[in-house]
Amino acid sequence: MRAFRRGGVPAMAVAALLVAILAASGCGGDRDALTIYSGRTEDLVGPLLERFSEEQGVPIDVRYGDTPQLALLLAEEGDRTPADVFWGQSPGATAHLAQRDLLAPLSSETLGLVNPRFEDPQGLWTGTSGRQRVLVYNSETVAQDGLPRSVHELTRPEYRGRVGIAPTNGSFQDFVTAMRDIEGEEATAAWLRGMADNGARTYANNNAIVEAVGRGEIDMGLVNHYYNHRFLQEDPSLPSRNHRFEDGDIGGLLIPSSASVLAASDKKEEAEAFIRFLLSKEAQEYFADETFEYPLAQGVPPAEGVPPLESLRPPDEPPARLGDVEGTARLIQESGLE
Amino acid sequence: MSSAIAHALDGARARGLGLRALVLVLAVPFAAPLAYLVVRNAEEGGVWSALTDEALLAPLGRSLLLATTVAAAAAVVGTTAAWLVQRSDLPGRRVIRLLLPLPLVLPSFIGAFALIAAFAPGGLLERALSRVGVSGLPEVRGFAGAFTVLTLLTYPYVYLPVAARLRQLPPAMEESARLLGRGPAATFATVVLPQARAAIAAGALLVFLYVLADFGAVQLLRYDTLTRAIFSNYLLDPPVALALSLALGLLAIVVVIAQRRVAGRRVPDARRGGRALTVPLGRWRAAAVAFVAGLLGLALAAPVAVLVYWTVRGVNAGTTRPNSLVADPGRLVEPALNTTIASVSAALVAVAVVLPAAFLTARHRDRVGSGAAALVTGGFALPGLVIALALAFWTLRSPGLIGALYQTLPLLVGAYALHFGALALAPAQVAAGSVPRRLDDAARTLGRGRLARLATVDLPLMAPGLAAGAGLVLLSAMKELPVTLLLAPAGFPTLATRIWSSTEDAFWADASIAALALLAVSGVLTWLLVVRRDHALA
Repeated sequence: MRAFRRGGVPAMAVAALLVAILAASGCGGDRDALTIYSGRTEDLVGPLLERFSEEQGVPIDVRYGDTPQLALLLAEEGDRTPADVFWGQSPGATAHLAQRDLLAPLSSETLGLVNPRFEDPQGLWTGTSGRQRVLVYNSETVAQDGLPRSVHELTRPEYRGRVGIAPTNGSFQDFVTAMRDIEGEEATAAWLRGMADNGARTYANNNAIVEAVGRGEIDMGLVNHYYNHRFLQEDPSLPSRNHRFEDGDIGGLLIPSSASVLAASDKKEEAEAFIRFLLSKEAQEYFADETFEYPLAQGVPPAEGVPPLESLRPPDEPPARLGDVEGTARLIQESGLE
Repeated sequence: MSSAIAHALDGARARGLGLRALVLVLAVPFAAPLAYLVVRNAEEGGVWSALTDEALLAPLGRSLLLATTVAAAAAVVGTTAAWLVQRSDLPGRRVIRLLLPLPLVLPSFIGAFALIAAFAPGGLLERALSRVGVSGLPEVRGFAGAFTVLTLLTYPYVYLPVAARLRQLPPAMEESARLLGRGPAATFATVVLPQARAAIAAGALLVFLYVLADFGAVQLLRYDTLTRAIFSNYLLDPPVALALSLALGLLAIVVVIAQRRVAGRRVPDARRGGRALTVPLGRWRAAAVAFVAGLLGLALAAPVAVLVYWTVRGVNAGTTRPNSLVADPGRLVEPALNTTIASVSAALVAVAVVLPAAFLTARHRDRVGSGAAALVTGGFALPGLVIALALAFWTLRSPGLIGALYQTLPLLVGAYALHFGALALAPAQVAAGSVPRRLDDAARTLGRGRLARLATVDLPLMAPGLAAGAGLVLLSAMKELPVTLLLAPAGFPTLATRIWSSTEDAFWADASIAALALLAVSGVLTWLLVVRRDHALA
């Protein structure tokens, strides 16, 4: 009985919570706000979005999440979606929505801001900033002259068991899709098989590869250039370094974050205004300075230490096919990479 | 007199019906994920070809192997730890009681990552050991890695219900056994184990289901299970992912039913009573201390050490980002409050909605009760992503009030309760089963109504079990990610979403600060809701 009388405190806590819930549920989901589903994280782009809202006087509701999972939610929501804008980390997930006719075409005014190489040929999405595919390596265990000039060299015996890859990661899949486009199905399948036969070690994602390279568990790995910059910022003593493949090599593909407007949006104008804001000089400089990324709008130089876009000459990649992630996943599975 | 008895019996029958009806109504939301999977599979087609694909048998086999072995290991570890803190003179057991549930709150995507950074080759431990000339640690990877890491992260699913059961178990029987000359080991085997069997089985089942649904750990540790197959196919091949999810849900239900058959249900009546029993460990003391220290060292101290290391490193390196937690830890307040509100609400709602089913299954051999229990339990075996998509599907297709709940806090709390109801149900069933029927009958003959008996007899006796269940829901909801990201109101950051966001873009110091805050908040809430109440009942 003594114990039960103590129930008074939890009962009051329950009542207080119910009040809090009712109060909180009343204030969520502003109908007038522009709703953005962002696969780019709050850590990276939160301040930029706040700036947009303040400068243009547009209230925003942002849902941050995992890019593929947000795409799945949008597909499930269909024309009932509260979202106006989808801003994903890579084009694969956006293409999934384009295939389901869930995106509205962007205006030529918006599309004109970016090199068409980083846009959807149907004009359903545009790239906003880019990350480059690189080889991260451990500078204590790998000599400079032992580094490959092309991603194709990684199937050679001298790299046996020394390369980490992340076959279930969106950027790796986008890279493989581009390779299929440019070098053909057979060459791509052969490269994937070659990597599997050469004992490539698989990891969960870019972070896991950079971390393993830093520890010395593996000598090198295929990742996006961004992550090692971050790791070195947190711990400058790490031996991991980025190595770029030679100009024009498919291994140096630039992967754009992609922004799109939902077909079901009733705020398409504000939505496009937001995308144009992302391509403004201010936002593009933010990407260059704060997120180590390549600005994609014309005329903005990237951050210190990141080579300028013009000097890169990544492969000319027609991005339409970046959408065919299904075929890519099948190819990866068949190669035996797990 | 005889008419009074007949009247009471009629009443009992009527109450049974009312209870069944209540259980049925409350079970409806729990059917939502499976119903969604059935509807979507029918739309997409290809279930059969997906499920008969031989390439999927291997991941299924690996899922079952991992889930079974981790459940067995967690049962041993969790039961041992529960007995030591509840029954022995283990030094420091008050503090240990608070620490033991905490590994549950570390999301596996950071918990597993930290354990890799700590123990893998070239990691923090090896670097420390290399100063004394030791090197060559084994890899943390594949089956062995996944088994070890998941056991360390999930043993609290067994520990909490078993500790609650032992708390409630009268020491008289164990004392009698001791007086009759049995040693501690024999007493444990012949008295404690049979009494705690239901709680151990319930906890092990939860571990089994958790491992089936886990994605974060197996993905990082490269062990290719069914859930990994679901996630890697979801965007690429939706029919396959939907078919595999349905298979996972049905598998969970089969296991739940089978487990109930095997474990049996009738728990011997046992009331709590008397003072707590304290078994002197004697010469086993050193071994017991080593066991608990090793367990807490691996499951809690190691990840915490890594998190502190990352924090210090990041603070030393400094930051120029205005929204960094390194620059402004005050940014943790809002996520911490959100986490507390959502998870405490979820714990209370979950316990309340599963209580009728717990009574029904514990008191009657009943199809309605078993069906409801299987549905509730199945919700725990499905990945959070599936739960979130299912609720989005149903909510958006519902008219009026329910449709308006989409991406609001009540929906989020409901989704947590639905996903984690099993965690409240299992200990509640054990607790309901161990309330002596004769007490209830006595209260009834004294003319106490159903609600009065519930308030004065059942709930007080069930309190430790219910608190343990609430604690499990609480700790799980606090770290929940996919449901939170997809269904929380816009602009409702929680500690788990902050940790994830920082992890995604490799802001390790930020992720660590938020993860340490999550551990601190969960420690305080566990103390308030579980440990303190536990003591009050002693």
